[in-house]
Amino acid sequence: MLWFTPVVVLLLAVSLYPTLFVIWMSFQKTRYYDLAGFVGLANYIDVLTSPAFWETTYTSLAYMAGSLVLSLAIGVFAALILNNLGRTGKLLRVVTLFPWTLSMAVVGTVWLSLLNPSYGPISHFLRQLGIEPGLMLGDPELALWLTILVTSWWSFPYVMVIVTAAIQSIPKELYEAVQVDGGGWRAKLRHVTWPHLIPTIGSVALTLGIQFLTLITLLIVLTGGGPLGATTTLSFEVFRGTVQAVNIGPTAVLSLVILIANIILGVVYTRLTGRVSA
Amino acid sequence: MQASSSNLSNRAVVLILAALVVVCGIGPMVWAISTSLKTEVDAVSAIPTLIPSRITLSNYLTVFTHKTFLIELFNSVLYAAGAVAVALALGIPAGYAASRFSFPAKRAVMLLILATSMVPGVALLVPTFYVLDHLGLLNNRLVIVIILAARIAPQTVWFIQNFIEAVPIEIDEAAHIDGASRAQILLKLVLPLIRPGIAAVAVIGAITTWNDYITVAVFAPDSAKRTLQVALVNQVFDAVGISWSFTMAFALISSLPVIVMFVIVQKWFIAGLTAGAVKG
Repeated sequence: MLWFTPVVVLLLAVSLYPTLFVIWMSFQKTRYYDLAGFVGLANYIDVLTSPAFWETTYTSLAYMAGSLVLSLAIGVFAALILNNLGRTGKLLRVVTLFPWTLSMAVVGTVWLSLLNPSYGPISHFLRQLGIEPGLMLGDPELALWLTILVTSWWSFPYVMVIVTAAIQSIPKELYEAVQVDGGGWRAKLRHVTWPHLIPTIGSVALTLGIQFLTLITLLIVLTGGGPLGATTTLSFEVFRGTVQAVNIGPTAVLSLVILIANIILGVVYTRLTGRVSA
Repeated sequence: MQASSSNLSNRAVVLILAALVVVCGIGPMVWAISTSLKTEVDAVSAIPTLIPSRITLSNYLTVFTHKTFLIELFNSVLYAAGAVAVALALGIPAGYAASRFSFPAKRAVMLLILATSMVPGVALLVPTFYVLDHLGLLNNRLVIVIILAARIAPQTVWFIQNFIEAVPIEIDEAAHIDGASRAQILLKLVLPLIRPGIAAVAVIGAITTWNDYITVAVFAPDSAKRTLQVALVNQVFDAVGISWSFTMAFALISSLPVIVMFVIVQKWFIAGLTAGAVKG
């Protein structure tokens, strides 16, 4: 037990204590950073009956779903393509993976430059095609989509690497069997590769789902939650509530919503993979 | 004959698609490098070019001579190195115990580690800020190190546990018979054997903490305590004064340690990523 004591103390102090504290906070009447007594479920009722909460929840879900679909699609596609290239493919995978190691701050800054409506290359390219790019990230209709695009750019290499490992763990004999039966690459993909990838894709989706649920920095840099709240997710709202601190009770409730969602995804992940580390 | 020509065209399609993947993947970073080498005027030209008309290193020089750069660099290094050191110092004994000992409370301890790994940092922003504010501990470097260390502690324990499990327990037993203490066995025998693993877990932890923005931005907003990441984001907020060529140079310099670490350990990095997720 002595061997565990230091790490247990650290986690109790930095993780468990604030978790319990935020639960307590959510039942308190608050003004700025002052706690002014127990109010029961008032904060919960405030939050759950406000249309803004449901809009934010919807944005969070749309952002998570959009980013998941796009990064999984591109990631699986990239894995299948590069897997055909042997050693070259391996090298290209390492090169392509490297954006995944960059910070959200860097990713956001680079894309802010790429998507700049006046002198960014993407708007320029669109104009060449005869499409008026408009305000790009400043356009309430477009902002969420572009944010999803940037998120997927950052996360597809992760999908690619893990799916590649899964593809390479498929026994060669299965492909040979399909070949013997006269099946081409379509049959191989459909009857061998795909069924083997499903569990891996499931666990990757959960890992990324947690990332997207709790992601803030990229949104801070790209849109600041705007325009007109178009990219304000639950996590972003918690960040804003913390730094603006007008009334932290409702922010505590939002924190718990995220916490519960994260735990659900985390438990499903642990059950599904039988592993504890991502 | 027909089969081989269709193979050839298949091969060409694969190559084109692969090129597309790689261009999409790293194209934005090529743009960032290109912008960082442009003059400030070229960086905002109405017709953007990938190859700068005049290549200049002045943006990089400006970053290095920027008045707050050194303190931000110092803070970034201190927080990342400190957090990794704390996580390893606490995680190695815990990982060893998790692998070698069995005692009644072990299940509870492992469950606590798993549970805290599922608590997202976002959900703890408000309570942690409140507590630190009331204790007068905002803008405290040691506090930042400890918070970041706790963030990477669970994965550190699991990784170390897995590495130690790969070391035959007979080594421990033989040394024990020879009269070595547990601490001696861990430090003198087991640790040297898992050194590459420790390097990998240290690097992954360092990348995570180096890239952090939120923790430092919220709990240490003071300009003397901020990191390169926080400084970078603040440039973006300065909507009027932003110089894209300078900001891109800054972003690339702030990523350089991560890129170097990634290149050094990319094999383990990929192994670490895939270890948890792939299961047939």
